[in-house]
Amino acid sequence: MNFWIAVLRQTGRNLRQTWSSQFMTFLTVSLSVLIFAFFSLIYTNMLGAGDRLSDDLSLIVYLEDEPGPAMQEQLRRKINNFDEVESIHFISQQTAFQRFADQLGEDSDILHDMPHDFLPASIEIVPLKSLRGYNQIKLLSEYLASLPGTEKIQYGQEWVERFYHFMRLLTIVIILSGTLLILTATFMVAYTIRLTILGRQAELELLRLVGATNNYIRAPFLIEGILQGLMGSIIGLIALYGLFRWISVHFTGPGILNLFQFDFFSPSIILLIILASISLCSIGSYSSIRKFLQI
Amino acid sequence: MTENNNRDIPKDTMIEMIKVGRNYPPDIQALSDISLTIETGEMFFLIGKSGAGKTTLLKLICNMEMPSNGLIEVAGYNINTLKGKDLALLRQRIGVAYQDFKLLGDRTVAENIAISMEVSYKKSRAIKHRVRDLLDQLQLSDKHDILTGELSRGEQQRVALARAVANSPRLILVDEPTGNLDASTTEQVMELLNRSNKAGATIVIATHDASIYQGSNNRIMELQNGKIHSVTRGNS
Ligand SMILES: Nc1ncnc2c1ncn2[C@@H]1O[C@H](COP(=O)(O)OP(=O)(O)OP(=O)(O)O)[C@@H](O)[C@H]1O
Ligand SMILES: [Mg+2]
Repeated sequence: MNFWIAVLRQTGRNLRQTWSSQFMTFLTVSLSVLIFAFFSLIYTNMLGAGDRLSDDLSLIVYLEDEPGPAMQEQLRRKINNFDEVESIHFISQQTAFQRFADQLGEDSDILHDMPHDFLPASIEIVPLKSLRGYNQIKLLSEYLASLPGTEKIQYGQEWVERFYHFMRLLTIVIILSGTLLILTATFMVAYTIRLTILGRQAELELLRLVGATNNYIRAPFLIEGILQGLMGSIIGLIALYGLFRWISVHFTGPGILNLFQFDFFSPSIILLIILASISLCSIGSYSSIRKFLQI
Repeated sequence: MTENNNRDIPKDTMIEMIKVGRNYPPDIQALSDISLTIETGEMFFLIGKSGAGKTTLLKLICNMEMPSNGLIEVAGYNINTLKGKDLALLRQRIGVAYQDFKLLGDRTVAENIAISMEVSYKKSRAIKHRVRDLLDQLQLSDKHDILTGELSRGEQQRVALARAVANSPRLILVDEPTGNLDASTTEQVMELLNRSNKAGATIVIATHDASIYQGSNNRIMELQNGKIHSVTRGNS
């Protein structure tokens, strides 16, 4: 008990003596947490949006001819052999015409003179949920295109492609900002603690001479690292939350943000970010202690 | 502290040195062939010309430096094989007033004295009380909150001594405690040391100042060129 009081007294002294460099480190850590968490937040929200959008994702295969029942069975088997799918639905030329007419509603009289088979027959395929990665959809569509008698495959290729490219870009940004976070947290903390240690050689030497234990000498520096990680991540996350509120207020209404719900991190993710930041900063301070506080 | 590896040393021996030597590169023999026993509770004086090896001997006793050869035991422990926590705990029981003071110039007098008590986790109140008491005894009460870097040499010397005795150590090593002091302040310093000695502390004092040992009947060891020249008693 008394050990901790003594150690905290020493930690407070350290912080007071080097507060300006401490403050810089704290700012850097919270800024890196902010940047990393910002992109992660966008990423998780995009993932959710992607999930919701792909709920209505289906592939439409336009056929050259109206398939007979035997042909339908064959195609169904072929598709199921390639991969299990959620559902396969055949749409005859007649049904397609009917749907189109329904869509036109009152204007449907313009179809009056058209032959009832001017629209192609098609198959609507809803892929399994688990199959909805971009690559799987692409493979399935390539396979369908290779079947005899198919004319064209449609599944909003362009949109899906863009979405997945965006997600890939976002992944890279997250990896980069994560690396930035790791580097700043460990190196900045290691650096400030190194400065403190080197600037106080006389005191540390004296502490050894008057019989301070290794733990007593080292613990304040470790606590310093833990505090940096804790404070930095909390302030970074609070700043992000402010940003999040601001975006929510200013960008609601019709627009992209309405496509998906914009959610903040769950408590467990928040805890995870804080713990990660604390461990990174502790690693930073520990490495400096190991290197410059040899006892 | 781990084991008491020398049971044949009587309990009342504080310091045991056998054939101790200390060389510095290239070939300076600061100390050679020192064999010496200091009893628990003794007040022991170390004298000799400048460069005779007094400071070196004190540094060896508190394990600030290692002997080149020979055996040193303090309170029954071979101080040169102690490590980590054991060494720290033993050092908490040894108070040293260094010849160069080793004060932290950017800390106040009170903070400097408190350090030796903080490392053994004494309560804040006890520390404050003890610091005030010591400053009173050394006529430094008004310097409580002054940075030690701003003190005169003689004041710094007394702060260093206060730090050495603050934690009530069993063994007190003092290097030139009165070098910068006038006669009456010297007397106060010696009073403080005598009081600690009466309370049971073993005290070793390295000094040039004949006035502080001649009147007592304590043992006085004279070093000459790193060797023991004589061990006598003061004529009280
Ligand atoms: N770190 C060192 N490196 C080299 N030589 C040293 C070192 N420390 C002490 N010496 C030498 O050892 C000898 C003894 O030094 P020491 O400091 O013990 O003398 P002293 O008796 O305390 O002298 P003084 O009365 O001036 O304090 C001296 O010749 C000194 O030059
Ligand atoms: Mg000396």
